[in-house]
Amino acid sequence: MKGIRACFSIFLFACALLAWLPATASQSKRPRTDITVTTRSARARAHFETGLDKYQTLHVEDALENWRKATREDPHFALAHILLSQFAEDPTEQVSERDKALATKKFAGKEEQVVIDWLSATSKGQWVPAIQAMNSALHDYGAHKEVVWLAANWLVAQQQWARSLPLYERLNAMDPNFADAWNSAAYSYAHTRQFDKAFAAMQRYTELLPGEPNPHDSFAEISRMAGKFDDALAHYRAALKIDPSFIVSQEGLADTYALMGEESRARTEYATAIAKATNVQAVTWGLQSAATYVREGNDALADLAFEDVAMQARSRGFGNLEAQAYRTMAMYQRDGAKARQLLDKALAVLDEEQQVSKVLLDQERAVVLRSRIYRAIQDGDLPAATATLKQLEDLSGSSADASVTANFDSASGAVLLARGEYLDAIMHLESDERNPYSLRNLIVAYDGNGAHDQAELAAQRLAGFNEPTIEQALVVPAFRRNHGAAPVETKPAGGAISSARRM
Amino acid sequence: MSITMNGWVKNSCLVLVCLFLWQARVEAKQLAVVVAKTNATSALTAADLAKLFKLDGAKWPDGKNVTLVFFDPSSADMQIALQKIYKMQPDEFKTWMASHRASILFVHSEEELLKAVESVPGAVGLIDVYSITNRINVVKVDGKLPLEQGYLLRGN
Repeated sequence: MKGIRACFSIFLFACALLAWLPATASQSKRPRTDITVTTRSARARAHFETGLDKYQTLHVEDALENWRKATREDPHFALAHILLSQFAEDPTEQVSERDKALATKKFAGKEEQVVIDWLSATSKGQWVPAIQAMNSALHDYGAHKEVVWLAANWLVAQQQWARSLPLYERLNAMDPNFADAWNSAAYSYAHTRQFDKAFAAMQRYTELLPGEPNPHDSFAEISRMAGKFDDALAHYRAALKIDPSFIVSQEGLADTYALMGEESRARTEYATAIAKATNVQAVTWGLQSAATYVREGNDALADLAFEDVAMQARSRGFGNLEAQAYRTMAMYQRDGAKARQLLDKALAVLDEEQQVSKVLLDQERAVVLRSRIYRAIQDGDLPAATATLKQLEDLSGSSADASVTANFDSASGAVLLARGEYLDAIMHLESDERNPYSLRNLIVAYDGNGAHDQAELAAQRLAGFNEPTIEQALVVPAFRRNHGAAPVETKPAGGAISSARRM
Repeated sequence: MSITMNGWVKNSCLVLVCLFLWQARVEAKQLAVVVAKTNATSALTAADLAKLFKLDGAKWPDGKNVTLVFFDPSSADMQIALQKIYKMQPDEFKTWMASHRASILFVHSEEELLKAVESVPGAVGLIDVYSITNRINVVKVDGKLPLEQGYLLRGN
């Protein structure tokens, strides 16, 4: 017995030693992906690779935890640091990991160094060097699956859907069993309104991961984007059947009913989702649920619901969401004075000392200012709109955040349109095409500029806009009613959409 | 659901806006002014850019003549140039090009444009910012690089 224990101890020691031994070469290639990974610790490498696998199957927390373990095993593991900086959700971790990646870059191989240059520049908002480094990485290492995958995902993060597609197609050819590439390709096809290809890619993704809920969740979302609400419901239900705890699908179900106009059913589904939600999800989905009353045109019940969510947000310390509740209330008010009062209240919340990060507070502040500008224009008070635009411009100028910039563009476009400066309005509004207010203004601006074909395309896009936002609720159903349009985007003859649309 | 950098969950726009640091650039097309690595010019005012592109007696500081590298005038990139730099109608622009043919090099792809800018002395071109490489330099316009707020060369 003693001998067996001794042998076992030796075996364990040998295993531990092997795990700690540096790789035989300072750099070795991952046989599966070909990206060069430099680490002196075999255990760190194993954690890193597990993290990649986990990330690519959307087990994000597991992925992050594996990369954290990898950097604990080897603090000089620059590639793991930079991936953590890009994929972590905590902004402080993003910055600290970026700095660690830069500090340890000298220990990495050439390919990894290019990736670190690219992603660290991105993190600092240095877009030109970031793009140069990305294209350099693609030029030199374009046969490496992980580099192509990173680049495609990076382009999607910049909303460069069309540019991401050749890269996803390359990935699909390189490794037809790479599930994440099919999933992401499907979204890029959908965003470029190529729904046939989107559904084909989604079909392949579903076949590759038959026991996972996410393929059905993705299928559902893309079906909803295409206006195929019944299909969306069926796929959300299929996802929940596979994994009843996959509550994003429960929320998807609720959002879909809301878009279909079945508001009472939507509220029931939101309640089910909220019962299983985290604190922040509960408040966020509470806002969605409150918006169902706006969709019904019942402002009084909407007010009560939003007030209730504002109080929940306040009690949980989510100042940005509390402000969002007041700002949303302002957006549907018929009385201008009451709307202004609510917007003031939202700004007052944002000015309080908050535990929420400045980034999130600034994002909401930008939407509040944008809403003030819309309201001033609606009330015919162009000087007030222009004065508020200056505040939003200052905020945008001091922020690297793209959603702040998008709100500035939307508001600038609205002011320029009100002044009849169509061409300049178009330039701004085209930068915010995922906002139904901007799309609606864009139609007017195109028409004012004599670009009637483009106005028609924008109108079709607006009619087919199926994202469950308050902006959608306030603009799209009314637009469809006034134009006799269906929630499905129709493609004009000659395939003009793909050539005319900028994504 | 699909997730990309900085935890962006695609199927949850509200979560996107409310929870995560979103670094995506929501932009219309933007053009970079590109020159060779050997060209010392790193910044131009909008007025100087217009002089340069209109071949209005402008030379590079080292005395080299300017060569413009252009895509087809009907391309989207050239339409932005027409709007933002030349401020000309298409017919007027065609006439202008015809009278300056010796200083204009036409290319058919982004790769050709980059090669021409790298290799032709005094060359300058306009290219979609997402196509720039580290083989060329990007020139600031009015102190701004592409994708910075207020950058001139953006549009349809």
